[in-house]
Amino acid sequence: MASSRDQALSLLAAANNHGDLAVKLSSLRQARDILLAIDPALASDLLPYLAELQSSPEALVRKSLAETIEELGLKMLEHSCVLMPVLLAFLRDVDSMVAKQSIISGTKIFCRVLEEMTVQLNIRGKIERWLEDMWLSMLKFRENIVTTAMEPGCISTRLLALKFLERYVLLFTPDNNELGKPLPEGGQVFNVSRLSGSHSIIDPVLLMSEAGMILDYLLDMLSMASGLPGCLAIAVINCLASIGRKRPQHFSTVFAALLAFDSNCETGKRYHAASVRYSLRTAFLGFLRCTSPTILESRERLLGTLRAMNAGDAAEQVIRQVEKLARNAERASRDARLVKEDHSSSQISAHGSLIKKRPISQDEEMLAHNLEVASKRGRYIADTNSTFSGQQTADSGHGSTSANGVSPNVSILNGDLSPVEQMIAMIGALLAEGERGAESLEILISKIHPDLLADIVITNMKHLPKIPPPLTRLGKSEVIGQLGSASSPAQVAAPSFLPASSVPSPMSAMQIPYSSASITSESSPEASIVNSVSADSKRDPRRDPRRQDPRLAVPPEAVLPTVVDFGDVQSKLDDFNSNKPQLSAMVGGKTASSPLLSKKKSDDEILGSSLHGTSELIPKEVVQDGFQETKPTAEVGLSSDVAFSSEQITEDDIVKAEDIQMDESETPSNVELDHSPPAVANMAAFEETGKDLPVVPSYIELNGEQEASVRKLLFEQIMESCKHPNGKECGRMGMSLIARLVAQSAAADDLVEMLKNHILEDYQLQKGHELVLEVLYYLYSISGSDSAESSACAVTYEKFLLEMAESLLLKFPASDKSLSRLLGEAPVLPSSVLKLLDDLCNSDISDYHGKSLRDADRVTQGLGAVWSLILGRSHYRQSCLDIALKCALHSQEEIRAKAIRLVANKLFQLSYVAETIEHFAKSMLFSAVNQNASDVEACQPGLNEQLDEGKIGSQNTSSSGSQVPFSEAATFESESIGGAQPLAQGISSLSLSEAQRLISLFFALCMKKPSLLRLVFDAYGQAPRPVKQAVHRHIPVLVRALGSSYSELLQIISDPPQGSENLLMLVLQILTEETVPSPDLITTVKHLYETKLKDVSILIPMLPSFSKSEVLPIFPQMVNLPPDKFQKALAHILQGSAHTGPALTPAEVLVAIHDIVPEKDGVLLKKVMDACSTCFEQRTVFTQQVLAKALNQMVDRTPLPLLFMRTVIQAIDAFPALVDFVMEILSKLVSKQIWKMPKLWVGFLKCVSQTQPHSFGVLLQLPPPQLESSLNKYASLRGPLAAFASQPNIRASLPRMTLSVLGLTSETHVQQPHVASSLASGASSSVHGTTMT
Amino acid sequence: MRSRYAMVCSSNQNRSMEAHALLKREGFDVSSYGTGSHVKLPGPSLREPNVYDFGTPYKHMFDELRRKDPDLYKRNGILPMLKRNMSVKLAPQRWQDNSSDGPFDVVLTFEEKVFDMVLEDLNNREQILMKTVLVINLEVKDNHEEAATGAQLALDLCREVFDWLYFMY
Repeated sequence: MASSRDQALSLLAAANNHGDLAVKLSSLRQARDILLAIDPALASDLLPYLAELQSSPEALVRKSLAETIEELGLKMLEHSCVLMPVLLAFLRDVDSMVAKQSIISGTKIFCRVLEEMTVQLNIRGKIERWLEDMWLSMLKFRENIVTTAMEPGCISTRLLALKFLERYVLLFTPDNNELGKPLPEGGQVFNVSRLSGSHSIIDPVLLMSEAGMILDYLLDMLSMASGLPGCLAIAVINCLASIGRKRPQHFSTVFAALLAFDSNCETGKRYHAASVRYSLRTAFLGFLRCTSPTILESRERLLGTLRAMNAGDAAEQVIRQVEKLARNAERASRDARLVKEDHSSSQISAHGSLIKKRPISQDEEMLAHNLEVASKRGRYIADTNSTFSGQQTADSGHGSTSANGVSPNVSILNGDLSPVEQMIAMIGALLAEGERGAESLEILISKIHPDLLADIVITNMKHLPKIPPPLTRLGKSEVIGQLGSASSPAQVAAPSFLPASSVPSPMSAMQIPYSSASITSESSPEASIVNSVSADSKRDPRRDPRRQDPRLAVPPEAVLPTVVDFGDVQSKLDDFNSNKPQLSAMVGGKTASSPLLSKKKSDDEILGSSLHGTSELIPKEVVQDGFQETKPTAEVGLSSDVAFSSEQITEDDIVKAEDIQMDESETPSNVELDHSPPAVANMAAFEETGKDLPVVPSYIELNGEQEASVRKLLFEQIMESCKHPNGKECGRMGMSLIARLVAQSAAADDLVEMLKNHILEDYQLQKGHELVLEVLYYLYSISGSDSAESSACAVTYEKFLLEMAESLLLKFPASDKSLSRLLGEAPVLPSSVLKLLDDLCNSDISDYHGKSLRDADRVTQGLGAVWSLILGRSHYRQSCLDIALKCALHSQEEIRAKAIRLVANKLFQLSYVAETIEHFAKSMLFSAVNQNASDVEACQPGLNEQLDEGKIGSQNTSSSGSQVPFSEAATFESESIGGAQPLAQGISSLSLSEAQRLISLFFALCMKKPSLLRLVFDAYGQAPRPVKQAVHRHIPVLVRALGSSYSELLQIISDPPQGSENLLMLVLQILTEETVPSPDLITTVKHLYETKLKDVSILIPMLPSFSKSEVLPIFPQMVNLPPDKFQKALAHILQGSAHTGPALTPAEVLVAIHDIVPEKDGVLLKKVMDACSTCFEQRTVFTQQVLAKALNQMVDRTPLPLLFMRTVIQAIDAFPALVDFVMEILSKLVSKQIWKMPKLWVGFLKCVSQTQPHSFGVLLQLPPPQLESSLNKYASLRGPLAAFASQPNIRASLPRMTLSVLGLTSETHVQQPHVASSLASGASSSVHGTTMT
Repeated sequence: MRSRYAMVCSSNQNRSMEAHALLKREGFDVSSYGTGSHVKLPGPSLREPNVYDFGTPYKHMFDELRRKDPDLYKRNGILPMLKRNMSVKLAPQRWQDNSSDGPFDVVLTFEEKVFDMVLEDLNNREQILMKTVLVINLEVKDNHEEAATGAQLALDLCREVFDWLYFMY
């Protein structure tokens, strides 16, 4: 033992003095281990040495020391008091690490001490001395932490300090939820509600009130949060949220403060603004998850706030979760009830606990949780349902042995006392203690939170005597008179709040006598068995934002006594020897000097003074709701003046801004009480029973005119103040005020007009936009409510929004985005606004003469707005889409193009509207194809009808049925065929521009979605001519744009719908223009030609890519085509592709033409002849050489082509220089015995005749009989030929027979066998000779 | 003292695990969690996801999916992802059920809903440790590419935050 002590001492010394930090730390650790291991009594001797380490220069050592203290403290609390000063000192350590650790350690020890005290107090009824000392240090510790939290310093330390404060509030606020539960094992979680009885050292009441103070600190911090660093603000919000969630009695306070902060923080420009807002959001969502009835009451407001924060979705999700849990819970409670019914009646009393016990037997965690909720719920339900029994109990006094079978329940219900009831019970207990208790009572009441105090008073009122005391003096009668005018009895409860509300600060000790007296008067035994329902029924109306809810109304008879009883309280108050004059004087004084009001002063000064200046300022009847509202707002006002006003404003049933009640005789400071005077006035009324006070200001109703002028003045003032450079805060408030003003002045146009001008003045600085939205949102929220002015507000809303939109249009250039932004953020868009957009997009920009009416950019602006609405506002998507689509059909091309660009490029990409757009475009296409122009017009506006596919389908089929006969006639390319045209015209009176108007959109969509193209092809066959023309205009652009990705096109090409051949041709033409058609395309087209469409003209565009072997088989068909097409085909064939060269050379073409056998190939000879002619026309292609080559090839054919001689003749006609060549051909023909081919023979003779005298040589080669017949046919030849032959050199070479034919027979016939060869040479030389000449 | 980081997404499969793997590789003290009620993996269709309980080992999922339709799950990247996850830790963990994993200094969430759930959970916890934690949401779409980008961003952010924690706290 001694050795370990020595060891510890040496280690501590090392920790203190050693040079090396690591050694110090490890020594400290070892010392700690020893201290923890040895007997606490022994260890306690060493603790002072340990405490010495606090002056260690190393922060790490100090931090480690703090940790050590924590461990030792938790283990041997009894002895660790000596260490507490160290912890306290560390709180202010220069190193935040140490300070933080000391907070952490201190917090743990704090909780431990509390637990220990509870145990001692509850078991032994007293607290040991050492523990008292510990507790005192702990209180010091708390004080220090409060200071740390409040004062500027290291942020991370302050965060922890805040957490401590949260913990503190939670510890010392009664936890209702825990009351019914058994103490957790080990008593881990301390709560003030576990403390039974009181002790001079640890007085639960005092502690609770201190917790209230701490809460107030936190609320104060929140109100100043705009000056705090972001993470501190977040921490404060989180702490408050946690308190609100876990202790519902504080919820309303916390919620109001957070709301005020929410509206406040928007204007602040701090770091982490987004995070701060997010933490608010999280806090609100956390509230939503709570099932406590106090919080459930505020659910609507929570939801509203969350929606305003754009967290509506998350909120709804949470609500769904909660509802699911609740449903499960209900089911569980039903089960529980069933079980209960099974039990004998003696167990009925166990009702409450039964539900609670049951879950314990369940293993499933989830179920247990649900049941837990169920038990809570069940309890609340039980509470509300037991009004009657509670009443009974109250009537029958505290007799717990009442014959009433239900009476045992009372005790159970008592177990579930609300905080108010607990407080009352506590007060009762204190009173029972007599003299000693009175002191505590005084302290207690001085520290009770105003809210709670109010509830206590209300709850207690129920037990006041029912017989009204005589009504004395004017105060009473006035109150009653006022009550008579009040529509909701709920209001009656309000006066009783006043004492509390006028005491915003818990520190105002002056209030004590009054409150204590009123409570003291209730010290009858009943106080302890107050039924919570009565409290709820009176509290509900106040908390419920919809206070006019009839369900909550209490019959007036029940209420009047309450008010009168209040007087009774006061009379009792006299009995209790309280100094009432003092009290009333105090109350009177407070109204003028309360910190709240003086804070408020600066803000309202402008307002107040301006009002003061007008002569119209006559106090007006105050709306009762405002009356009630005063209390919560006063609380908020305590923490922040700005919060005050914004809080008031955000209330639904608020005091109307202009309902300002004032008395001209009052001082300006009183004038400033614009929102709270009702409270003051009424208070005065009450107090007058005891003392004379200034006469109550009477309320005078303003007439409409006065109202308007006050409103206007107010308005001007607000605007004035908003223009102030430092009016940022007030700007926010001003906006809210303006929103309300506008809401009320539905009829007053001038106000809206003023506002409009004001807004437009500084719209660009963003403030205008915010203001507009503020007004709109407010109007919207009113119009959405059930209140009377909702419809008026709806009208104002629409009007205001419309006017704003119009003025934005007027004021700003088209490039301005304000309009779009406004529409995008406005809560709802009435139809008139959509109409405005529609007009913006759809009215003409120029008149018929092309004169510009307005800026085309406006259309762009409108469409831009429409676009953003479609993107951002799903609710208006359809309407906006309608506008855009309508615009896409606009008759003016410029507008239409803009709209089409939007629809096709942007909107069509959006999956949720793509289908609608497609349907629309389709229906327009169909309507263009199928309908007369008038029908088209008729079906334009109602988009939805057209989206009815059935209708489209039926139109389509019916018309296709009726129009089939026309489709061929309407074939567009053959327009030269006259008959077709009038027919097509007859079908539709559509103009080309009209057709284009209707189908442009569709083509734009095709660009994005090529599969739509098929529809064009389908429709094309039936389309009237203007539509076809329009299609022809669009398709090139489209096809080119589709470019490489024409797989869709290929499909269409492979199977074109009937009637679309011309379109197909056009497409093919475009596809092959300037580019080489892809192999796919070629294959497809070839396949089509081979299978379906026998029209060879579709192949024409492909021809350049065809090889010779491919072209030749189809060549006859090509020749059969109309001349222009053949010409085209010819050009393509000859053109060829860059890779393969031409499919056929010109010579080959000629040969191919000549190879056609009309009978066999089914081609008219005329067509072949035309083809030849076509060739000859192209003299640059079919040159002399080409012809010679072709003829040379052909002449060797057997049989000779039918048209051979014709071509020869044409060739010689075209190119006379070919004559020598032709003569050679002719000679060849002679040798081929041309005379045996009758058709050619004719041609031969014709050729010979035409080519004389060059042909003489050839003629002379003919055998004599043929020569004879030819000369007989062409008699004119005989003479020249004879003359030619009689030339000596020729004559010598001619056979005798020939000569005899020519009549030159007298000559000798020598060298006969020689003839042929010499003749040939002679002939050729003679021909040469002639060409020379 | 080394800072501890937690990566949290919905199913503790893709985004958080991508970041977990990366940060682990970079030497951070990192854990990862999901906040959903179950682990959901894409199935053959949108309506037929594969649903597992948290705590089911990645290996188990891997084997099961490989048995079901190896092609599909290879193609949509689920198998490779699970394989990666297997190399990082044993099984997906649920944030709400692992509060005992001790204090983190930084919690990175990859989806606003997850962020909300983490905050809700933290708010509902018994506050014993008295430690501050920085919760950051990094919105990342739940697909492989975005997860990779998100993980890189998470790494960058954690480096920055590390510096900040180091110097400021």
